[in-house]
Amino acid sequence: MSDRSQLTDSASPTPARAVRLEATNHEGSLLGKNVSLAKFAAGKDTGFAFADILFAIDLNNEIVLGDAFPEWRGNIYDIQMIPDMSTLVEWKPGLDSVIGDYWLKDGTPVPICPRNLVRRLVDRLAALGYGATAAVEIEATLFEESVQEARRVGYRDLTPLGGSTGATYHLARSKDWVDYMEAVVDRLDRVGITWEAWTDEAAPGQTELNLAPTDPVALCDGWARTRQIMREVAFERGHTVSFMAKPTAGFGQGAHINLSLHSDGVNRFFAEDGPSELMRHAVGGLLATMAGATSVVMPQITSYRRLVDLTGPPTTVSWGVNNKTAAVRAITGHPKYSRLEYRLPGADANPYLTLAVVLAGVLAGIERRIEPPEQVTDMAWCLPDDSGVSRIPDTMSKAGAALEADPLLREYLGDEFVDFWVASRRWEWMEFHTKGGDPFAELSEWESTRYFEFP
Amino acid sequence: MAETTTITALPTPQQGSHILIEDDASPLVRLIGRTLGDSARSGHAADGLARTAGVVAVRSHDTPQAATIAFGAGAVEVSSGVLVAPDATVVVDLHARFAPVGEPSGDAALAAGVLRALQPPLPHWREAAARFWQLTRGIRGVPEVLLVDTEGPDGPEHGRFGEGATEYLVAGPADLLAGVFSGADDFLTALASGLRVRGTLSQMSVMTAASWKVRFDV
Repeated sequence: MSDRSQLTDSASPTPARAVRLEATNHEGSLLGKNVSLAKFAAGKDTGFAFADILFAIDLNNEIVLGDAFPEWRGNIYDIQMIPDMSTLVEWKPGLDSVIGDYWLKDGTPVPICPRNLVRRLVDRLAALGYGATAAVEIEATLFEESVQEARRVGYRDLTPLGGSTGATYHLARSKDWVDYMEAVVDRLDRVGITWEAWTDEAAPGQTELNLAPTDPVALCDGWARTRQIMREVAFERGHTVSFMAKPTAGFGQGAHINLSLHSDGVNRFFAEDGPSELMRHAVGGLLATMAGATSVVMPQITSYRRLVDLTGPPTTVSWGVNNKTAAVRAITGHPKYSRLEYRLPGADANPYLTLAVVLAGVLAGIERRIEPPEQVTDMAWCLPDDSGVSRIPDTMSKAGAALEADPLLREYLGDEFVDFWVASRRWEWMEFHTKGGDPFAELSEWESTRYFEFP
Repeated sequence: MAETTTITALPTPQQGSHILIEDDASPLVRLIGRTLGDSARSGHAADGLARTAGVVAVRSHDTPQAATIAFGAGAVEVSSGVLVAPDATVVVDLHARFAPVGEPSGDAALAAGVLRALQPPLPHWREAAARFWQLTRGIRGVPEVLLVDTEGPDGPEHGRFGEGATEYLVAGPADLLAGVFSGADDFLTALASGLRVRGTLSQMSVMTAASWKVRFDV
């Protein structure tokens, strides 16, 4: 990443002609605009005007209605996007890009700005004396067809890139698939996003790309930009990529978050004999908030189609040491690698909001010293009803109701965000049911059209 | 999206038949349940609702929305989808107050009874508006005063519901007002059919929530 001085002193042989301003709204794709260098220089300190409606547009470009707007939203007011110059990079020859946050004219953060939410929670954690280190496993599915062809056929019956056999870890994927991934990590290297590994995943055409541990805000920036790069590389090569929770009626795809807390250079989740007390409390908070958090980390109708026992995603509000069938896996016993793996989010989640609810759960657990329930040492799928382990909400409406009623997430995320989010999911639920979605289909055409390209 | 089959009673008291909807119900199930409840309360289509046996599929004419109405002893249960072989099927226009599209199939008398029960007579717009305000005034952000303008048989008619500084005006033909305020018509769709409003975008957003409360009980 660069600092602001590099905008004019770029070492690139092709000086930037424009800067792309980037930030996510609630849905999770990067939104923004391209501005000339002169315009950027004039506004980089004071900010760039964006209509507040960007937080009220759904993925079909309809205005989301159904909640009381806060005072900063009126008859489509402007809010300011102020670039964070530490994120300035050369995106490609001739174009720089920078990520920003949304601010109100009085200098306070827009309360529902996803990036500002993460920053606020990181600050709260720092006030307790802890820093967080987070990583993400990004899953996506690649298809041979161009995006134009995919659109023409309604994103249905596409051909998986690299063959149609399901595979995990196989190195025998065909060259088209390998070339795509190598082009992606080459782009990541050039923009300064540190990756650790990539491999093929369970479904035909599917890949998993792991970003390296870093601080939460930087991780979210890298995650959002990686999705953008994966799209751009796919387009350049005449292919298509999708981050839908289920781009076909087959396997789903998730986005596991790995998180640890440190202070004074020491991993505070480590203890010689298992989870440290701090890790236990973090688990307690994550489980206490999991039902409500589901609404945020499984944001779309299709997200809930992943929740099938024995297929990979967690289906129960559960945790366990080294238990990948549980929603939270505790990795213990190593002074460096002890961490929690939060396995609930879908690949379609907003990176910033995902980290926000994870940090909110961790903070709640630490500040309230919440002890977790007994860990699940058996398989956490298909548990009997009387096991004492509850199921993860399996519909958007159930998850929204859980979030609305969650006092912990209300405290840490704020009432304004929770009310906004619940209303936006009610709108999404209503659009699905009343405008062409089919809850009884494996994957309805309405979902493919709405979610294949974004987020 | 998994659909549950837990059946929940509507919160409003019923006379005669007990109308039950499943837990975590879809908008269509909620709409049917609320509409049948209105009929049961008013005594409309009592013979159709008094049946003790029969299964009717209700399908939207232009979307995949579908629901099943099952008549049992003392209760009418509404659930999502059509998962059993129905005795009758009706295809309806959900934006035209359950107007049938084509002839029902199967048991004609059963279908006719259900269609009658799905089309209770609308109240007068003033009565509907008063009830609308009573049901929705507690929603956060709802304007303090609802103003209603329409053209009656003897000239302009006006309504004012609530007291306070923030006002919201809804105007239009009397029948459309009655439909929107009773939940028979969709608020946003009605804006393309002659309904007019005056207020902020924020107020319109909240009024959308209010209309869903009345139409779907969400």
